[in-house]
Amino acid sequence: MEKVWIAFAAALAVGLPAIATAWAQSRIGAAGAGTLAEKPELTGVIIILVAIPETMVILGFVVAAMILLML
Amino acid sequence: MIIRMAKVEIVGPKKDLLETLDVLHNRGIFQPDPQLLEKVELAAGDHLDALVLDDAELRERSFFQDLHERITRLLDLLPKAGNDRSPLQPLPVMDVLDELSRRHLDEAEDANNSLKDCRQSADALNRDLSFWQALEPLLAELPDPTNLELFGVTIRDSHQLHDLEKLLSEKTLGRCYVSSTTTTDGAQVALIATNRSVAEQLRQALSDVRVPELSLPEDLAALPVPERVTALRERLESRQAQCRDLEAQLQKLSRRWRPIYERAERWVEERLSLYRATAAAYTTRLCFIIQGWMAEAEVDPLRGDLERIFAGRVALEQHRILEEDLDQVPVMLRNPGYFAPFEILSRLLPLPKYASYDPTPLLALFFPVLFGMILGDAGYGTILLLIALLLAKRFPAGSTASDLGKVLGVAALYTLLFGLLYGEFFGDLGEAWFGMHPIWFDRGKAVLPMAVFALTVGLFHILLGITLGALAELRRHRPRKALVKLAMLATVLLLVLALASWLYPQTWLSTGPLLIGVGILMPVLIAAEGLLGPLELLKTLGNIISYVRIMAIGLSSVLLAVVANRLGGMVGDILVGILVAGILHAFNLLLGVFAPTVHSLRLHYVEFFSKFLDLGGRRFEPWHKRPS
Repeated sequence: MEKVWIAFAAALAVGLPAIATAWAQSRIGAAGAGTLAEKPELTGVIIILVAIPETMVILGFVVAAMILLML
Repeated sequence: MIIRMAKVEIVGPKKDLLETLDVLHNRGIFQPDPQLLEKVELAAGDHLDALVLDDAELRERSFFQDLHERITRLLDLLPKAGNDRSPLQPLPVMDVLDELSRRHLDEAEDANNSLKDCRQSADALNRDLSFWQALEPLLAELPDPTNLELFGVTIRDSHQLHDLEKLLSEKTLGRCYVSSTTTTDGAQVALIATNRSVAEQLRQALSDVRVPELSLPEDLAALPVPERVTALRERLESRQAQCRDLEAQLQKLSRRWRPIYERAERWVEERLSLYRATAAAYTTRLCFIIQGWMAEAEVDPLRGDLERIFAGRVALEQHRILEEDLDQVPVMLRNPGYFAPFEILSRLLPLPKYASYDPTPLLALFFPVLFGMILGDAGYGTILLLIALLLAKRFPAGSTASDLGKVLGVAALYTLLFGLLYGEFFGDLGEAWFGMHPIWFDRGKAVLPMAVFALTVGLFHILLGITLGALAELRRHRPRKALVKLAMLATVLLLVLALASWLYPQTWLSTGPLLIGVGILMPVLIAAEGLLGPLELLKTLGNIISYVRIMAIGLSSVLLAVVANRLGGMVGDILVGILVAGILHAFNLLLGVFAPTVHSLRLHYVEFFSKFLDLGGRRFEPWHKRPS
């Protein structure tokens, strides 16, 4: 039973940030696509802005890995 | 790398200004900057004035503007006729060209107007002809067309036809015949026949319901329908012949004169651009002064050219670039050999400032390594290498596709190398087929060592970024900011070492003294940067942790490859298994190109470059002749 809870905690640790990242990227991506239609020279900036929320899910993944490996 | 620029001042007698500007235009290496002259004027309190053209120059400019406008209009009217180029030198024959261009413009305008009318008329005739040709067979159905009044109308759809039949039957008390057909271009037309006695009533009814009657020239309307068609055809042929004559006339004019006018237009445009360039020049009573920017390597050759052409009357002097000029210096990037293709990645960012760094060489060094670390599969690396070779061979050197091929090629080599280190060939297929084993470690199983490796790479990358940032501050003569960067570097290093000594205790590495070092440096950071100091430290630590994505994305890639192999093996049929595994590997390869590219770029753009790169530089845009 304990293993189930550990797995569930790890899933939550990576799942919730993944949902948050997806939501943030959907908003930034939509705004970014609109921006690029008018100013294609901002491609680099938009890539950066879209990629910034991914840190959340990466950190979530690290926490999940720590939960699975260290407990 | 960022090309070293020089701030130069060109001085000479006023009468040589236009010729000097012409020399600068031809060389295409000088960017004027009138703002620099404004600074000179303010500093010296001198009597420098913006250049005002004298009467003769104003007349000449006005003449050229008129001529340019006229030639442009004429070229718009003349059709393209071959790629001939005229060797004519326009300046000696400028007056003749001025006169001729007026005549030719009138001629071209007349011919174009006539051609337009002629085409409109031919189109109308063609339309009428197609209507009446379509209606002609319907006449055969009529009992005696000679005693009838005939109308041709266009119909929108079958509903309108039905309504029209009903209405006309009411108006003419049934003494009317309606028949419809479709023309060759798809329009629906109807022929209405009625007794002459009720013709006017019927015409009025058509007008009331706004059904347009097919119009015809008056002389044709009186003719019987079959003769109408013949007459329309003859008239259409005559119009078409007229159009051809007019087109031939314009072609003839174009063949003979267009190359000459194109040459003249370019020459006049260049002359006018010289006049526009005079806005960048300032004058004293006798001299002109132009200041601007150029590559330092070009200064001596240009000085020599000016010396030779103007026999020493025009001088070029190089000034020292001052601290306050640094933000104004235009930036030109030029990268040799291996680095050049990577400009397609650095171009996604705004230009760096002059005192900053060109990110291209750094991207060229680190991007392929990070890409290879993430994808790290010998099989995928081989496929990518083949695609890269194809792109580089297929497309001409210097094209975007070729550059992309070269970047992909280097990234593929690192993918191959890390694939051998991780022991991966299409996931675990190498192990199953050739007994391939990891040279370093199996990242599918050794998650923690891979995470530590990724973090170490991140630490090195970020510390390098902070070091470059400190050097950039020193180059801009801001030692205090450079010291803050170095204090940040030392704090991060001490914190990481303290963490390492706590996790992996070593006799030679004690956590306590390291933390004391951090305690000493923190007040320095706070004193220098305020509360932003500790926040910047946290941000930097977050930047390092962000490199864990190298492990995370790599792990997902290897697991997907393993799943592809397992699914392929579970199918039971060799061919279907190969197909299933192939599709999944293709999908993984697609992801494997996209994800490492985006994430490697992000690690550079967000984590690495933010430590030292100062963006927002001005592009170097020298005066140059319009390409012919």
